[in-house]
Amino acid sequence: MNKKLLALLLSGSMMLSLAACGGGAATTPAPEESKAAEPAQSQAAAPVESKAAEPAEKTADDIPDNMTSADGKYQVAFITDVGQLKDKSFNQGTYDGVKLYADANGLSYKYYQPANGDQATDDDRYDAMKAAVEGGAEVVVCAGFMQEAALTKAAGEFADVPFVFIDGYPIGLDNVAGISFQEEQSGYLAGYAVVQEGFEKLGFSGGGGGTNPACCRFGYGFVQGANAAAANLGKTVEMNYSWEYGASFSASPELQTMANGWYTTGTEVIFACGGSMFQSIAAAASANDGFVVGVDVDQSFESDAVVTSAMKGLASAVQWAVAKVYDNTFSEIGGQGTSLGAKDDAVGLPTATWSMENFAVADYEEMFADIAAGKLDIDADYETGLEQDWSNLKLNIQ
Amino acid sequence: MTFLIQQTLLYAVPLMIVALAGVFAERSGIINLALEGIMIFGAFVGVLFIRIMQGMDVFQAAFAAKNWMALQGMELLAMAVAALLGAVFSLLLSFASVNLRADQTIGGTALNLMAPALVLFLIRIIANQNTLQMTEGDAASWFMIKKTTLGFDRKADLGFLGNTLLHQVYLATYVCIILFIVLSILLYKTRFGLRLRSCGENPQAADSLGINVYRMRYAGTTISGALAGMGGFVYALTTANCASTGDVAGFGFLALAVMIFGNWKPGNIAGAAILFGLFKCVAASYASIDINGDGVYMLATLGISSHVYRMLPYIITLVVLAFTSKKSRVPKAEGIPYDKGQR
Repeated sequence: MNKKLLALLLSGSMMLSLAACGGGAATTPAPEESKAAEPAQSQAAAPVESKAAEPAEKTADDIPDNMTSADGKYQVAFITDVGQLKDKSFNQGTYDGVKLYADANGLSYKYYQPANGDQATDDDRYDAMKAAVEGGAEVVVCAGFMQEAALTKAAGEFADVPFVFIDGYPIGLDNVAGISFQEEQSGYLAGYAVVQEGFEKLGFSGGGGGTNPACCRFGYGFVQGANAAAANLGKTVEMNYSWEYGASFSASPELQTMANGWYTTGTEVIFACGGSMFQSIAAAASANDGFVVGVDVDQSFESDAVVTSAMKGLASAVQWAVAKVYDNTFSEIGGQGTSLGAKDDAVGLPTATWSMENFAVADYEEMFADIAAGKLDIDADYETGLEQDWSNLKLNIQ
Repeated sequence: MTFLIQQTLLYAVPLMIVALAGVFAERSGIINLALEGIMIFGAFVGVLFIRIMQGMDVFQAAFAAKNWMALQGMELLAMAVAALLGAVFSLLLSFASVNLRADQTIGGTALNLMAPALVLFLIRIIANQNTLQMTEGDAASWFMIKKTTLGFDRKADLGFLGNTLLHQVYLATYVCIILFIVLSILLYKTRFGLRLRSCGENPQAADSLGINVYRMRYAGTTISGALAGMGGFVYALTTANCASTGDVAGFGFLALAVMIFGNWKPGNIAGAAILFGLFKCVAASYASIDINGDGVYMLATLGISSHVYRMLPYIITLVVLAFTSKKSRVPKAEGIPYDKGQR
């Protein structure tokens, strides 16, 4: 009886949420090209699910966030990072990968949000992982480096369940695959692009209070790219650099006021580096006719103020890693750290949707190829590298 | 300077109108501790209204055609809906404290506890997340009045006053200021206002002169609920990019402090709200404030930790309250349930 009621409530809420979102014109595209193996599998699964009429290219937004499996078991589980699921950035991008893989392969999936929201403790995260495993998870995708402690405990306890640790690193357990990205490359490209485009006063507002390695790498890369482009153009640019707000990656009136202040005093473009912080900064940008650089996924659909986004291929990385579980090759990545960068086509800017006029796509592609080939090396050591004397950049760290 | 004035107003106006909401309730004899809860609820209702309107494509054509009159109408409508539902929500408090003669602080606290929980629960059902946002665009591009919306050129200089009052402002701010003035006059210069205030001072005497104390207290609390609901939505719209999160950053409680600090008098409240708003603005953007326009950001060059600036609004409130609370004059019958049989 209780289960029926729960199912009813869940499906009801799903319908409501679908109805509420249905009117919006803002849709996110398929984040990355899907793996080659996928279409074949989805066609094989199609007749069973009577989805044959649908076109093969299904975007993540077409797949509901909540699904009810027949047996109450959920095979692919996702544990969110701090911040909300639909942050139009990190969590959402990662979950898109889960949904796309599960949907294409006829698997059940579910997301688990650790209790206590932004104040989630390691115990809360462990509880979420435990719930996922007890809910029948065959693979657990955990987003965010803050999951480490909980993951060590959970993965040690459930040694036969593979865990995929996004934005993570090896933690000495064979069933945990750490996957990280070379965000500094993505940030570099974004910084280079905006300065080439002609912006001279930049801003960087990062989430996690300066303790999140991914955000630090993004920011450090952004500074290097801006400096390189300024040197190339023979001018000096300025950058405000702040970790003050968005420690929990959320939007806030204070952050919006700070961004308003930056734009009012001449900042032209701000790199909004962290989940929902984008909302506050985009609002300030559109109030002041300023511009924003998005993060993690292509955010140009969220606001007209977005010039480009420093992306990392979350969805494709998740699909790639989860696929390894199902074709029994997880041992290749388990227990190790995999760092994905330009060479894997896992970072970059969305050239199709950017609004650059003075920086040509060809120039971008040339630079990207240089980075991928290792000809252009971008430093990732933000702890010692950031506070140096930049040749063509005035950095105001706040 | 323009920036400072505008940002200060954004923070001060919701505080001011919600503090006035407190005045209306307390002057009629009901302690309205539920201001925070009603604000949260009002913010939710207003944002939901805008979402539904966007979802039904009612104003999409107006937005596409840059018909800002229609969009301002939508904003006013959302404010009205938030006020209406805020008033309805506050009926819970008036019913408990007038009809049931329950302890008003407990009733208010109950509403404060209920509102965020209820709102978060509903947001989860509606949006499957912790934040309710506009379905498309942002508050600034939909509702903010800029030079260009008024038909001026983007680079036009409107002078100091024009730049401050006509560029990058929200209609809601001005509506709240006008409402604040009108309602202050209502409270002090009309028969209704006098009767309402008498019920907060000596309800027995008021009753003996034929004033229906229950009705007056209902009126006071309902106006209070409407203002707080509207204030909550205005706060969400102007400072939080039209998003509802089951939280208004303690503005309801700050409004209570502002009300006490303002000695239950509208003029003082306006001053107190502006003082607080100013420090709130300084806290968030001290590094971008350039008062005399010489390109030097004085506060940033002082080298004081940003945490000090962020504490300022609260420290100022504490200090000011410590010095002024001696002189404060609470409405005499506030918090005491009215019992006809008592003398």
